[in-house]
Amino acid sequence: MKVLTTRFGELSVNKEDVIRFKEGILGFEEHKNFFIVDPNDNTLILWLQSTDTPNIAFPMIEPQIFKSDYFPVLMPSDMSSIDLEETSDARVYSILTIPADYTQMSANLKAPIVVNVKKNIGKQIVLQDNRMLVKHEMYKELKLAISSHATSDDRRRTMQTPIRTLSNQNSNPMAANEAESINPAELTNAKTAMTNSESN
Amino acid sequence: MLVLTRKLGESIAIDDHIKIVVVQIKGKQVRLGIKAPKETKIHREEVYLAIQDQNVQALESTPESMSGLTQDLNNKK
Repeated sequence: MKVLTTRFGELSVNKEDVIRFKEGILGFEEHKNFFIVDPNDNTLILWLQSTDTPNIAFPMIEPQIFKSDYFPVLMPSDMSSIDLEETSDARVYSILTIPADYTQMSANLKAPIVVNVKKNIGKQIVLQDNRMLVKHEMYKELKLAISSHATSDDRRRTMQTPIRTLSNQNSNPMAANEAESINPAELTNAKTAMTNSESN
Repeated sequence: MLVLTRKLGESIAIDDHIKIVVVQIKGKQVRLGIKAPKETKIHREEVYLAIQDQNVQALESTPESMSGLTQDLNNKK
């Protein structure tokens, strides 16, 4: 099928390459169907292009390219939301913002786009891990990654982002990262307060 | 929206497994304790707003900044 795009003109897209986002992208819930455009410009930046709206296209990149220690952890509910049975069937991308001063570019590590490549279902999944940044500045990391590889194919070979599921993890990321975890003593105090207020 | 009044130490149960306790009330701030199964996702609403904002900015990446970046990244110096 033919798809009109603002950035790339008219593109022809195979129906089987269309990725269905049942819930859209956060803030853009009305757009459900996208495909990935690789402009082959040696930046390794891809575009998540809407099939129905020419000017809806999000720049994105596989985070493993610039951050080799990025390990998103999916909850069982995340897995089922994109019909994912095996983590190896998933590809992970981070949406980029590229301002006029592109050295301030940033990647969203907190809410990656996760695509089930077997079924072509995608979702922007908000990770529970509170250490992940919505705006992770990464110009220097990207520049370094690109200049340290000979060809873009070399880079692509090394850049699959491994994902983990909660069930493979020993620790609960929520407990480990919740900034304001509750001190049990406070709960005890709260109970005491409740008893007092009832007796009053 | 359902509105409930709770005192310090009182809680709200959602379904069978989620419990929200008022842990502390200090001036305009309320601290809530949340007990939920570990697969439950819990975020401050600002997280979602920040992500939506980032998505809007992502769309605004201009061809000029893109071509500047492309040239820069292709220049290995």
